[in-house]
Amino acid sequence: MSITLDQVTKRYQGVPVVNDVSLDIGDGEFFVLLGPSGSGKSTLLRAIAGLTGVDHGRIALHGRDVTHVAARKRGVGLVFQNYALFRHMSVADNIEFALRVRRMKASERRARRRELLRLVALEGMDQRLPAQLSGGQQQRVAVARALAHKPEVLLLDEPFGALDAKIREELRSTIRQVQRELGITTVLVTHDQQEAFALADRIGVMNLGRLLEMGRPDDLYARPTTRFVATFLGAANLLLVRQNSQGVSLGSDEAGSVAAGTAPVGREREVVAVLRPEEVELAPEQEQLTASYLAHGTVEQVLFGGALELMHVRLGNGSTPRVVRADDRGEAAFIEVTRTQHEQRLFPLTPGQSVAIGARRLHVLPTPLSSFLACGPSEALASAVSRHPLLTELAARMKTRVATRVEPALAAAQALDGDTPNVVGAAVIAAQPGAAKTTEWLLRHGAEEVLILPETCAPPQRVLIHWVDEHARRATLAVSASLLRHVTAEAVYVGILPEDAQVREGRPLGMRALLDARSEAQAVHGLQMRTELHFGDVADELARRLAESPGQLLILGVSDPAVLGERFAALINTTTWPLLVVYRPPDAVRRGGG
Amino acid sequence: MAGGPIQAVREELTTRPGGDALWALLTRWLLIALSLAFLAALLFAPLATVFATALEHGVKLYLATFNDADTRSAVRLTLLTAAVVVPLNTLFGLAASWCIAKFEFKGKSFLITLIDLPLAVSPVISGMVYVLLFGLQGWFGHFLQEHDISIIFALPGIIIATMFVTFPYVARELIPLMQQLGNDEEEAAMTMGAGAWMTFFRVTLPKVRWGLIYGVILCNARAMGEFGAVSVVSGHIRGLTNTMPLHIEILYNEYNFTGAFAVASLLTLLAVLTLIIKTLVERTGYKRR
Amino acid sequence: MAFRQPSVLPGFGLTFGFTTFFLSAIVLIPLAALVLMAASMHWGEFVHVVLSPRALGSYRLSFGASVLAAGINLVFGFIIAWTLVRYEFPGRKLIDALIDMPFALPTAVSGIALTTVFAESGWIGRYLSLAGIHVAYTWIGVTVALTLIGMPFMVRTVQPALAEVQRDLEDAAETLGAGRLYVFRRIILPTVLPAMLTGFTLAFARAVGEYGSVIFIAGNLPMKTEITPLLIVIRLEEFDYRGAAALGVVMLVISFAVLLAINLLQTWGRRRLVATGR
Repeated sequence: MSITLDQVTKRYQGVPVVNDVSLDIGDGEFFVLLGPSGSGKSTLLRAIAGLTGVDHGRIALHGRDVTHVAARKRGVGLVFQNYALFRHMSVADNIEFALRVRRMKASERRARRRELLRLVALEGMDQRLPAQLSGGQQQRVAVARALAHKPEVLLLDEPFGALDAKIREELRSTIRQVQRELGITTVLVTHDQQEAFALADRIGVMNLGRLLEMGRPDDLYARPTTRFVATFLGAANLLLVRQNSQGVSLGSDEAGSVAAGTAPVGREREVVAVLRPEEVELAPEQEQLTASYLAHGTVEQVLFGGALELMHVRLGNGSTPRVVRADDRGEAAFIEVTRTQHEQRLFPLTPGQSVAIGARRLHVLPTPLSSFLACGPSEALASAVSRHPLLTELAARMKTRVATRVEPALAAAQALDGDTPNVVGAAVIAAQPGAAKTTEWLLRHGAEEVLILPETCAPPQRVLIHWVDEHARRATLAVSASLLRHVTAEAVYVGILPEDAQVREGRPLGMRALLDARSEAQAVHGLQMRTELHFGDVADELARRLAESPGQLLILGVSDPAVLGERFAALINTTTWPLLVVYRPPDAVRRGGG
Repeated sequence: MAGGPIQAVREELTTRPGGDALWALLTRWLLIALSLAFLAALLFAPLATVFATALEHGVKLYLATFNDADTRSAVRLTLLTAAVVVPLNTLFGLAASWCIAKFEFKGKSFLITLIDLPLAVSPVISGMVYVLLFGLQGWFGHFLQEHDISIIFALPGIIIATMFVTFPYVARELIPLMQQLGNDEEEAAMTMGAGAWMTFFRVTLPKVRWGLIYGVILCNARAMGEFGAVSVVSGHIRGLTNTMPLHIEILYNEYNFTGAFAVASLLTLLAVLTLIIKTLVERTGYKRR
Repeated sequence: MAFRQPSVLPGFGLTFGFTTFFLSAIVLIPLAALVLMAASMHWGEFVHVVLSPRALGSYRLSFGASVLAAGINLVFGFIIAWTLVRYEFPGRKLIDALIDMPFALPTAVSGIALTTVFAESGWIGRYLSLAGIHVAYTWIGVTVALTLIGMPFMVRTVQPALAEVQRDLEDAAETLGAGRLYVFRRIILPTVLPAMLTGFTLAFARAVGEYGSVIFIAGNLPMKTEITPLLIVIRLEEFDYRGAAALGVVMLVISFAVLLAINLLQTWGRRRLVATGR
């Protein structure tokens, strides 16, 4: 492996800017780190280069641990966004800089310089000064300079950001050519997904300091596993739909089912599905659709886009699937549709026309948290919960909605008869005495997650994870992974063994469990977490750990709701920190993803 | 990256891996120590001495210096000189900067060089040229004697010499400032019908007010503190043609250290005040060239 | 090209007239008097005055000490500018503001203050005399005084140049294999070199003509601790106007030469480091 990062974390003023990032890049691979500004990708690149230190984790280049090695000894070449050429030196001197430092003979330097200039197509420019070159030319010199000392790794930090579109294209192909010719392992950082698609062998998508997904461009585009990647790599319509053992049902009675990849086992639940604008089919009537019928709608906006036509189609009200957008205000949302010239000719459309909408291909995201349902015994209380700052922020980040539900029964926590509709989505309640009973009630009536929010709580900086028994492990990890993608916090799994186990061979057994948990989290859920081992009573230890510092959140997984009342009543009823209870009954353990 | 937050840059530098962390720390403390030592010996110590010596024999003696008639007249003369010189030089500065910043004409750079000249010329020369003009054996010497006009060894000479030394200050602040700010606003005002004076007072002056203030306080500080040029033209007549700096020299040469430093302390306080105003002006965002 | 280009704005006549009148009256005519006075001397007489042993002694002191002082400022001024730009420490802002003090402080005040500090009984002088170094009333004292007054020139010229050095360049050099010292030598120094030379020249120019700060600490013994400006003053007091004028012309010529050098340096510096260019 050419570059190996292992749980690399960099904190700035306490906040992790790079949060537990692990990845492996192979020899000669062109890897692109893609993400919005502030995602930590540049910091990560600079950490690989050695220009900034890391607070935790390991960096290895070609098998050599370089975590504490100075930048100049790492054998990397770095290309900056602003070229960073030495203004008072000519092009030749710039390129030969690394060689001069290594005291190469002048004739050898000259030969190497010529070779590099040929490589970046700048022959003859030896004696020019940087001020006499265009932006594109300066960047080429920067690339040649970075390669002079034959580094093992080439790093590029948004190298084309300062250039015009045309020059950017040219330089992209130059870089690709150079990389292929030299076969050098390359990491390029960018926020432009077109660039990533054009250059990468593999893409790593980062957000809020975490590496969310890694994979080939076409894989990530067709089969994202997170909301963020789905919407960042291209336009996407996110739909809340029901999934059962047959497939996905698109909401209304007449709707068909669309096979969508992972075949679920178990009862029906709400999931998030990705519908790309180019996979939407529009027809005058439902009968004329070749794809599965989704809903009826009205064309709202038609924009000419050259090869494609971009449209907004507003869905009619009624039992249509919920579309979630970042700026969802509760009204029936629209979906984005792109159509090719061919489709336009078959069925020309103008704003105001009503159409039947079909979906050719739907991809279900394996994220367990689809939406939130704020619950309270009265209207006022329920809406107060729905406006909790932490909840609204989570919903905004996850691009999902917060619905409210008034359930008077919650006040009395009585058992209800069976025809109460199931709770859909993750339930959210306010923290109060009696919350344990309420939680238990919700879990027995269809909720799989319950988020308990105290009135005032700080955005969490650390998330503690614990499952009471093994059956809940998978689901808890899946939910934790999902949550942690939208919160800048550290993840810590707290393993707790009984007091007396410490005396026996408790410790090695406990450590084993920790390692297993950690590797499953990483391999299956893409979650990087630390682990701790404590001994004692579970509820007490958790309470103690939580009390240690503010700004924490606890995710507790159970496979039997009764356990909450028995062992955790005190913890839940008096909590001053947000608490997320995850519940999966044991027979659901066979389901993948969770 | 040049504009990135300073904190982030420092954070990165201090966490950078590699063994130079120790060296960097040592170098840092060494350089800071050297700087402070240098400044302490050359700047802080003399400043402290001024006040220490002035107050060496108690506050009473310090204050007594200002009861002396000669000292009083020195103070009066200095204030009077500044009161005449600073406004005149400000006027010159405004006129010159308007002329140079807003118009293109041949010989502009020669004019600018002339304005910079006093800064490169020794103060003794600055005073001497007037002695050569107006002194007894100077060009106008006889003429002045006949008409009983004294310039050298009298107030007018002091004023003129001080003017020579200090006139560049206001102009040098305003010229680049006006050039930088451009003519657009004035031209707009003119096209809207404003007259020349109105444009000047309502548009230009407010634009350049911080540079103007800066130049004026510098000009004032130098006018009150000028020694060499005034020394040559003044004749050192106690009570008549001694400014404060000259009076300091006299007191010092008489070994009246308390007196000399007492007067010096006044000028030092003026310097401190000048620096304070300068810092405040810079806080408003005014950047010198 | 006509004398001036036409313009919308008024006031050229008035301001140009006033400016030229002012400059002529205050600067040109007096300087002309000086030059003419010197020119009225015979060449031989001129040389006799200008190259007399006493004059030569004063040149040695004035120019020698000025060069030395500017050199000291080159080193320490750079160090001070570096610490102010790159390091954060308590009191930094205060010290930054105080750098301009020698600008604002009257020369007589700094003159007597320095003399007092470095005299045999002074705060610093007493320790130095223990080591056998006598500052007051020697050429060393002159150098010390000239160093003080030149210091702001150096620091204020180098500061902006240092601040402009982009960190990216240093980072790039580091990834290319250069150590801290190499980066300093090859990247940072060349970039600030024009500013340093400009600062040196400014400090030198100021030092050569300095009077007030120096005469108290100098001792003023002819041929040993007498600066050229003092020699001129003495000639004037003796009513030897022509002698004074001759020496004055010498100093003036030096001033012009230095002014020219400064202008050239600044142009050179600007050309070398044109910012982001096409």
